Amino acid sequence: MKKYVLLVVCFLFVFTSCEEAIDVDLNDSEPRLVVEGSFNVSEIGEQTQARVELSLTKPFFNNQDTFVNNAEVIVIDEDGVITELDLFQNGIYNAPLIINPEKEYTLQINYNGELYTATEQFKPVVSLEFVEQDDNGGFDNESIELKAFFTDPAQEENFYLFQGSSDKGFMVDTFNDEFFNGNQIFGFYFVEDLEPGDEVLFSLYGVDEQFYNFMFTLLQQSSDQSDGPFETQPATVRGNIVNQTNPENFPLGYFRISQISTLQYTIE
Amino acid sequence: MKNIICFLLFFGSILSWGQEKFTVSGIISEAATGETLIGVNVLIPSLQTGTITNEYGYYSITLPEGEYEFYISNVGFVTQQFTVQLDKNLKKDISLTEDTQQLNEVVIKADIEKLNIRKPQMSVNTLSINTIKKIPVVLGETDVIKSITLLPGVTNAGEGASGFNVRGGAADQNLILLDEATLYNSSHLFGFFSVFNPDAIKDVTLYKGGIPARYGGRVSSVLDIYQKDGNKKQLRAQGGIGAVASRLLLEGPIKKDTASFLIGGRSSYAHLFLPLLDNDNVAYFYDLNTKLSYNLNKNNRLYLSGYFGRDVFTIADSFSNSFGNSTFNLRWNHLFSDKLFSNLSLIYTDYFYGLELSFVEFDFDSGITNFNLKYDFTHFLSDNVELRYGLNSIYYKFNPGDINPTTPTSGINPFKLTDKYAFENAAYLDTEFELSEKIAVQAGLRISTFNRLGQDELNIYENNNPLLFNQDLEIYQKATPIDTVSFKKSETMKSFANLEPRFAISYQLNDDASIKASYNRTAQYIHLISNTTSPTPFDIYAPSGKYIEPQVADQVAVGYFKRFENYSLEVESFYKKVQNRLDYVDDADLIANNAVEQILLSGEARAYGLEVLFRKTEGKLQGWVAYTLSRSEQRTPGRTPLETGINNGAWYNSPWDKTHDISITGQYELSNKWSFSANFIYQTGQPTTFPNGQYEYNNVVVPVYEARNSSRLPDFHHLDIAATWTPKPNSTKRWKSEWVFSIYNVYNRMNAASISFRENTDVNRNEAVRLSIFGIIPSVTYNFKF
Repeated sequence: MKKYVLLVVCFLFVFTSCEEAIDVDLNDSEPRLVVEGSFNVSEIGEQTQARVELSLTKPFFNNQDTFVNNAEVIVIDEDGVITELDLFQNGIYNAPLIINPEKEYTLQINYNGELYTATEQFKPVVSLEFVEQDDNGGFDNESIELKAFFTDPAQEENFYLFQGSSDKGFMVDTFNDEFFNGNQIFGFYFVEDLEPGDEVLFSLYGVDEQFYNFMFTLLQQSSDQSDGPFETQPATVRGNIVNQTNPENFPLGYFRISQISTLQYTIE
Repeated sequence: MKNIICFLLFFGSILSWGQEKFTVSGIISEAATGETLIGVNVLIPSLQTGTITNEYGYYSITLPEGEYEFYISNVGFVTQQFTVQLDKNLKKDISLTEDTQQLNEVVIKADIEKLNIRKPQMSVNTLSINTIKKIPVVLGETDVIKSITLLPGVTNAGEGASGFNVRGGAADQNLILLDEATLYNSSHLFGFFSVFNPDAIKDVTLYKGGIPARYGGRVSSVLDIYQKDGNKKQLRAQGGIGAVASRLLLEGPIKKDTASFLIGGRSSYAHLFLPLLDNDNVAYFYDLNTKLSYNLNKNNRLYLSGYFGRDVFTIADSFSNSFGNSTFNLRWNHLFSDKLFSNLSLIYTDYFYGLELSFVEFDFDSGITNFNLKYDFTHFLSDNVELRYGLNSIYYKFNPGDINPTTPTSGINPFKLTDKYAFENAAYLDTEFELSEKIAVQAGLRISTFNRLGQDELNIYENNNPLLFNQDLEIYQKATPIDTVSFKKSETMKSFANLEPRFAISYQLNDDASIKASYNRTAQYIHLISNTTSPTPFDIYAPSGKYIEPQVADQVAVGYFKRFENYSLEVESFYKKVQNRLDYVDDADLIANNAVEQILLSGEARAYGLEVLFRKTEGKLQGWVAYTLSRSEQRTPGRTPLETGINNGAWYNSPWDKTHDISITGQYELSNKWSFSANFIYQTGQPTTFPNGQYEYNNVVVPVYEARNSSRLPDFHHLDIAATWTPKPNSTKRWKSEWVFSIYNVYNRMNAASISFRENTDVNRNEAVRLSIFGIIPSVTYNFKF
C-alpha cells in the first residue's frame, strides 16, 4: 500500500520536474557474501530442487559477475540428516530434496574459512485461481494490466511473495494480509508494451513475517518510487543468515523454504 | 534647556517614589482602513522609554504625572507627534496614515532602534507583508514560508519539499499559528506554495529562540501569523492573476468603524486546462480566509476567523486524494482596566487527509482534530515592567486511519486504526522589566502537562517492550502484544508534566549596540510519525503515551546587535539539544500502522551554529545578507550495550543539515513606476545516503548503503530577479494595479532535489539519476486593488 501512496505523491514531481542521468563518485565497500537460498515446494511430499545461489557484493557501477564457486554448501534437517549441494554453474549450488513441512532445516555455507548458517521451516501457500485482464489500464487508460487472484485463509496471519514474469518484464511484490484477511485478493502485473499472445507466468510463495519485512524494505530501496524528498532513510537490509565465525562480516540475502503456486496466462 | 528639563524629569521620576502615576492607553490603527497595527512604537523620548502595540494593536504605558511628548512610529507610516498633559488616566486611540513619500525621519528611527537594541527578546524576525511581497519567488506567487527561509537559521529540505527547518530542528517542531490557531500542514502542492494567502495577512513573526513563555507545544520555533481584520472604513478588493494561481480578497465595513468582514479566496487553476490536453490527471489547491471583527465598545472586541484549505489531486481514475487544514476561532478582547488587557480564544483546528484508491477499491481517511481554549492576559504594570500570564487547554483527537472498501466486491476489509485522545494544559507567567538603565530582563515560566486519555485496545507487551532486538541478525523486530487493555475516555492512561523556564537578558553597550543572551526549555507532546526526508501530507501525528516520551529541548543563544546609520547587524550563536527525538527502525512501514511503538526508538538531536544578518532598512536600496554556519545531527543509540541502535548508534547529519547557508535579497526602487528585486541563495548540498555496493537478490538489484547521511547532494544555489511595474502610480482612481515580472533561477541551475540510483533496464546497467524540480522559470503576475 505504501507504494501506491508514494506513487500518488510522486505524480506531481513527474509532472513538473526533470530527470537526468549524471556521474557520481561513490565509495566502494568491502565485498560481502550474498546468499539466495530458495527452496520452492510445489506439492508437499514431492521432491524439490534445493537451490542456493552465492555471489559477492560489488561496486555499484560494476557489471562484472561475482559468482562464488568455491564454497561448501550443505543442508541439515533437525534430525541431523545432511544433504550436500553441488556446484551446478555460476555460483548455483543444488541437490534434490524432499522437504518435511514439520521439520526445521539449517543451511550451512563454508566460504573463505568462515561459517554461515540460517535455519528455516516450510511456509505453505494457497493456489492462484484465475487471471483478470484489463485493456484500459495504466496512466493512459490504454495499457494491458493483469490481476492474478487468490483467496487468503482467514484463520491465520499470512505473508506472500508474488511474482509475474514475461518476455516484457518482471514484477515482484510482497504482501501481508492485514487489510484483506480472509478475502479474495489479487497480485498486480503491469509492464510496458504487453500485447495479445504474450505469455505471463505468475508465482505465489508462502513466506513468514521476517521475510516479508526483508523483502518489503528491499523492494522499497530498489524501486524508482523512492525518489525525492519523500524518500525514506535507506540502510543496508539484513537478512536471516549469520556469520558464525566473524559476525562483523555479515552476509546479505535470505534463506527461505516456501510452497509455490504457479499460473500461466496468455494475454488475449 | 530642554535637556535640563528632561534630566530633571528623569531624576524626578526616580526620586518621587510616591508621586502619582497615570496610564495612557489605546488602540493604534491604520487611518485608511481601520486595521489595527501590531508592533507600533510608542515613544516618549524625554524619558527614553516607550512601548509597542500588542497583537491586537493595544498599547498601555504608565508614567508619572507630567507633560510628555509622544511619538507614534511604524515603518511605512507617517510618524505622529503630540503632547500629553498627564494628570489623569488617558484613553488615546491613534490612527496612522501610510507614508507614500518615504520621508526620512532619522531622529525617531534612531529611537525605535534603540528600543529594539535594548529589548531582551532575541532570535526573532518580523517580516512585514510588504517586504514579503517584494521578494521574487518561483511562478510569481508571493510566499510567506519561502520568504522566511531567506532569514538566517531557516532552511527547508529543498524545492518541492513541504515545511521548513529552524536552527536545525525538524519541520514538525515548528508551532505554526494563524490567528492563534495551530496549523498542522503549512504547504500546498507539496511545498510549491505555502497555505497563507499573502493578501489576507497582516504580520509574520518568527521566533527561532528565546521563545516567550506564552508559546508552547513545539520545541523548535514559533511562526506567529495574524490575519487582517478587514477594512472598517470602506469596501475594498484586491487580488492577483498569476501563472498558476489567482486570488481575490474582499473586505469592508459591516458597520462603519465598528464591524468589518474579510473574505479571501485563492485557487490554482492549471487543472482546468488539463482536460483540453486530454489529460485525466488533476492537481489543484484552494483556500479560503474569512474574518469578522466587531468592536463592541471601548473595552470589548470580538473576532471570528476561519481558514479552510484543501489540496486535491487525482490520477486517471485510479487515485484521488484530498487534504488540508480547517480552523475556526472566536476571540474576545477585553480590557479589565487600561493596564490589564485580556484575550480569550476558542479555537477549533482540523487536519484531514483522505485518499481513495479506486483500483484497489478502498479509501483511507486520517487526521487530527483539536479544541483549544486560551486565556491570555497582558498586564502593563509601569513603563518598564510588563507581565504576561495565561492558561491554555487543548483537547486532541487523533484519527490515525480508517480504511473502508469502496465497492461491494472490494478485497479490502474495513479497518479502523485505534483513535487516540489527549488533553494538554499549560499555565505561564512571563515578565519583562528593566533591571538597570543598561540591563533588561525577560523571564518566564511555563508549566505544561499532558494527559493521554483512555482508548480502545492499548497493546501490552512482555517487559513493556514493543520492539525486540535480534542479536544474531542485529536487527530490530516487532514484539507481539501479550494483551490489550481498553480504557474509558475519561481515564488518564499516562501523564507527563514539564517545567519550561524561559529567560532572556540584554546588556546595552551604548546607544547603538547591545549583547543579549537567552535560554529556553520547550516541551512537545505530539510527534509527527514520518521517516521521509521532509514531511508528507499523509504522515500522522502520534501523542506521547506509554511508549512515547515527550520531546524536550534546551536552547541557549547569545547575540550581538549593532545599529549603524541605515544599517543593522545581528550576530547570534546558538546551541540546541532535543531529548526523546523519535527515530525509526530500518524496515519501518508507517502507513496505516496501528502499533507504531513497534518500529520506534527514542534518540536525541543537537544543533549549533552561527547566524549573521546584515540588513539595510533605509533608502532606495533595501535588503539583507544572511549567513548561517551550522550543524544539525541526530543519534539513536541502542537501549542496551548489546543493541546496535540506528546507524550503529553514531551521530549522523539530519537531512536538513546545511553547513553554509547564504541568502542575499535586495529591492531597488528606481522610480515610482519601476522597482526591482533580486535574491541569491547558496546552500551546502543536503545530506544523503549513497550506495557503496550492490548485489542481486530474486532478480532485483539491491544497493548496499554507506552510513546514514554520510554523503551530500551537490551544492544548491540559484539567482532570482523580479521587476514590478506600476503603470499609473499617481492615478487618483480607485483602481490600482501593478505587473510583476519575475525569473526564478536565472542561470538555469539544475539543482538536485535528490539523486537516486537504479537499474537502467534498457542497457542493464546501474545509473545515478538526478531529479531537478525547477529550471529557469519566468512568470508574470497581475495584481490589482480597488
